[in-house]
Amino acid sequence: MISKIYKLYLCTFIYTMKKIFLIAITVFLSIVTFAQIKSGEKLTFAASYNMSGLMTQLAQVTMETESVNTEKNNYLHLSCEAATFSKWDSFFKIRDIYESYVNPESLKPSLYKRSIDEGGFTKKEKYVFKGTTVTSTMKRKNMAETVRTFTVGSSTQDIVSLIYKLRTVDFSKMTIGQTTSMTVVFDEKQVPVTIKYMGKETVAAGNLGKKECYKLSIDATTKVLKGTDKNLIWITADAKKVPALIKFSIPVGTGQLTLSTASGI
Amino acid sequence: MRKTTLLLASIFTVLGIVFSFLPLGTLALLPLLLAIIFSFITFSKSENDLKQLPKMLLIVGVVCLLFVVSKQFFVKEEVAVDKNFEQVKKETKAEAKKELEEIEGLE
Repeated sequence: MISKIYKLYLCTFIYTMKKIFLIAITVFLSIVTFAQIKSGEKLTFAASYNMSGLMTQLAQVTMETESVNTEKNNYLHLSCEAATFSKWDSFFKIRDIYESYVNPESLKPSLYKRSIDEGGFTKKEKYVFKGTTVTSTMKRKNMAETVRTFTVGSSTQDIVSLIYKLRTVDFSKMTIGQTTSMTVVFDEKQVPVTIKYMGKETVAAGNLGKKECYKLSIDATTKVLKGTDKNLIWITADAKKVPALIKFSIPVGTGQLTLSTASGI
Repeated sequence: MRKTTLLLASIFTVLGIVFSFLPLGTLALLPLLLAIIFSFITFSKSENDLKQLPKMLLIVGVVCLLFVVSKQFFVKEEVAVDKNFEQVKKETKAEAKKELEEIEGLE
């Protein structure tokens, strides 16, 4: 009788411990996954363009995260907005929105949208991810809408979610020159992207002060980005992995995005 | 020689003044630096009684240069409140929610 009670007690104890362990693991994993990209994060950058040899501030770029719930799922809405500073508006007004709706855990995109208004030129793009199939819809100003369906890899990102995905990579174990590959959808096709770890550097990170950062080089086989190791991103070498500085080289010049404020991180 | 540099100094000074007052940021430095260089060359090549005009151009160039540089440091860059853009963002978000539900319906 005592033996039976003992066995029952032991079984209950093991079952309870298993439950506690499972819950602990789930909580731990969710903390690890969500620690870096969480809802309510807002990063503001000043975008500058190289004019007559000097960087001139042109626009403000805001990256925000927000939870979005539908009847069946919940998503993390990653948005990236660009708006020219008021003094430029009468000359060349830019109002761009890039947004991605992703799985909060894996950051896998379900929907990517791009709406640009640059000096009167408008373009709207929509990419719907369904497994490894992407259906893109593009509408340019005064042109007919085009629809394309193409196949992508299972881990293909869009431009916005790629930046956030980068923040989940563990660079602390990488050696200088080591690369990691990713793929993104861009201009209605899949484009391979190579990320090269270039070591650590201390850069100014807006309201966060000076921060030690991972310096990464982004190389994509596209006409939009130019040069080798000319497109760089510095992300803070801490648990938050906030992008502090982004330098880009495009066919018409060079520019940079410097972090002004970071909140909700 | 003096006539050419004076003409170039005058052209770049006018361009520099226009660029300084337009919101072109540091782009104004390009004509202003050229204006100062040509004004200085003209000033140094001029006879004493002909130094007045290049001297004036030189002063105008330097004043505009200081104005442009100080604008970079002291004028705060701001994004205008754009009601239209805010409306577009709201509409896009509402549209996206519907699209996500449509995608879920297809799965």
